[in-house]
Amino acid sequence: MYKVILRELRRLATSPIYWLCLVLGPIFCAVFFTTLMDEGLPTEMPIGLVDDDNSVTTRSLARNLDAFQNSQIVATYPSVSEARKAMQKGDIYGFYYIPRGTTHEMLLQHAPTVSFYMNSQFFVAGSLTYRDMRMMSELFSGAASRSVLRAKGAADGQIVPYLQPIVVDSHPIHNPSLNYSVYLSNIIVPGLLGLFVLFVTVFGIGVELREDTTDELLAVASCQGTCGKIGTAFNALYGKLIAQGLVFHLVGWGIVLYFYGYLHFPCYCGIPVMLLVMSLFIAACQGLGVLMICMLPTLRMGLSFASLWGVLSFSISGMSFPVMAMPSWVQGLSFLFPLRHYYLLYVNCALDGYSLFNAIPFYAALLLFSLLPFLFISRFGKVMREVAYVG
Amino acid sequence: MTLSDSYAKTIRSIFTDGGALLFCIVVPIIYPILYTIIYNAETVHEVPVAVVDDSRSSLSRDYLRRLDATPDVKVVSICAEMNEAQAMVQHRDCYGIVRIPSDFHKQLSTGGQAHVQSYCDMSGLLYYKAILIANTEVSLAMNAEIKVAQTAANPVALFSGIAGGTEEQKAVMQHPVQYEYVNLYNPQTGFATFLIPAVLILALQQTMVLGIGLLSGTRRGRGEKVKREGNTLAQLAGVALAFLTVYIPISVYEVGLVPRMFNLPQLGNPWEIAFMMVPFLLAVFNFGLCFGSISRKRENIILIAVFTTIPMLFMSGVSWPGSALPSFWKYLGYLFPSTFGINAFIKLNNMGAHFSSIQFEYVALWVQCLVYALLAWGATKLVHKSKNTPHE
Repeated sequence: MYKVILRELRRLATSPIYWLCLVLGPIFCAVFFTTLMDEGLPTEMPIGLVDDDNSVTTRSLARNLDAFQNSQIVATYPSVSEARKAMQKGDIYGFYYIPRGTTHEMLLQHAPTVSFYMNSQFFVAGSLTYRDMRMMSELFSGAASRSVLRAKGAADGQIVPYLQPIVVDSHPIHNPSLNYSVYLSNIIVPGLLGLFVLFVTVFGIGVELREDTTDELLAVASCQGTCGKIGTAFNALYGKLIAQGLVFHLVGWGIVLYFYGYLHFPCYCGIPVMLLVMSLFIAACQGLGVLMICMLPTLRMGLSFASLWGVLSFSISGMSFPVMAMPSWVQGLSFLFPLRHYYLLYVNCALDGYSLFNAIPFYAALLLFSLLPFLFISRFGKVMREVAYVG
Repeated sequence: MTLSDSYAKTIRSIFTDGGALLFCIVVPIIYPILYTIIYNAETVHEVPVAVVDDSRSSLSRDYLRRLDATPDVKVVSICAEMNEAQAMVQHRDCYGIVRIPSDFHKQLSTGGQAHVQSYCDMSGLLYYKAILIANTEVSLAMNAEIKVAQTAANPVALFSGIAGGTEEQKAVMQHPVQYEYVNLYNPQTGFATFLIPAVLILALQQTMVLGIGLLSGTRRGRGEKVKREGNTLAQLAGVALAFLTVYIPISVYEVGLVPRMFNLPQLGNPWEIAFMMVPFLLAVFNFGLCFGSISRKRENIILIAVFTTIPMLFMSGVSWPGSALPSFWKYLGYLFPSTFGINAFIKLNNMGAHFSSIQFEYVALWVQCLVYALLAWGATKLVHKSKNTPHE
């Protein structure tokens, strides 16, 4: 088998497309997503202000709002419709509106109303500016009450509980800063790696068909004709998979080390466990890739199958939109995607630090995927011997 | 080859070549539906949470009842202690724990402050958001009531003379300044409304790029000789017209019909959107020609085009706010028609913006169109030259 491995390694090293899929692509993706979301949580997102009141009190409100971490007042607009237009143009993600007479009414205790608008079409920006502006409104209201109570002689220690009897202390476990890179890069980058594994597995077999080198491959794998049909097919298939897997392990482990060793993403299970999970994931994708090319034994259809399946896996893995909110048949379908299991294992091990045994089903599912090639050995042999490249 | 020959030939190949048929017809029809089905619930409701009620008082039960009544979370278990609740999180039976402290009732009755602890599983930010919103709403509502109800007994209220005030005075004291807020363009902050418009435009771009790449790859793969007397420009125009013939109906379907089928927001004027789609489709076509000439073998184009889809989505500034994009990636995004196409489409279709709001995107699409056309023309000329020289 080692001859097949050597042959495959030589092929991998000499073709630019392999370099792209095995090394450059995954590294580009890892660098892309981690530098793109380097901030963790977007800060200083542009918002606008419409201050028709323009008093000392409202100006101080605006200053305080500006001091919030996630948003920054970049412009003041003379009217709400001007601000709306700026929002539609994409200059700002939200704006705060203080109507004329707010301060006056506040002093008269007439409970004036201020309002804020955010562009929820941009999900992340809308949610974060909403959070800041709502917090500011609560504080503003609280500050007004406090100054009245103070004036009437209440002590600060009494005022705070009076204004807010119930406080909710929120604890986002293991990602306290709501770091988006931890939440997204951790899955998207391995997901793209999985896509590349599918590609290379399918491509590696399909290209033998296209370039009509199957006889050569089988000859190398046949141990000078002593192996028999199944043995030859086994050698050929596993020789290829081992060679490709070797390179993918280097890259996959590199990504794991980069995430948990260099960027210090939360990893409560220790890095070795994540290396194991990554290995399983790579093997599972290889298994799925063998299934794809053996089911559709032309390079073009195999690759199409791989890309359509691979692209869907990002949505269906449930990393951004929970699987439990999807229709039930999609929920069932999601278990056919290795990335779904990888995501659940990552959450179980790295993010939450539970033992691997807590996630036996997902672990078993990845193992099953990685055993798929065994089922396809004879089919693979048949494809290699008989199917001529079409198209 | 004349314009009409090239047109007929391209149309024929799109419908007879398996790969092109798949990527130009089947995928643009099926994938938008598939994605919309995945995201169509818009948001997650009834996130399961476990509660630990150390107070076991009427007030704490009231809090938990209200929590359960919110659309965002569902109390699936009342646990005796934290360990039990943690075990439920560990087995993914619930995604968060709400703990009421033992002094909850006492604090609230004596004018103190009670701290409710809420722990969220961070495997998905939507779980966190749901649990946070539910707790915030319940605590704000209860705070307001407690202030009014307990005013008679509260030392601060007695002190400040509110205790004897009218209901109106009490209400003002609760909230001297009222506020209201409006979620514009996506009232339920839903996922489908947010992501599907971007997916639709990106699907148009990527499938067309794949289709062009596959067809030009096939021609080169077959070592097809290009007749020297053929007019490059006419030939390219033929191919372009063929792709537009296929992609105009596809665009109408994706941009006009799919949002309608799933009741997604459609605020734009259809003619303005159509007007915007013209430079977009042309820019994508020219971009596809350039992109296709990168690779010598037809299958390779699949490899390159598919994996770039996700980075392109992020560079458009939809998933990740444009203001927070590092400038290097932001300007790299300017190379792709999808960046401007997505933003222009969202502004017109989802935000009901006036056409003048997309001036920048509109001009940028035409610039891309022009630049990529020149590049593609140059590349084709180069290919013709290198192909034809040995035969002379």
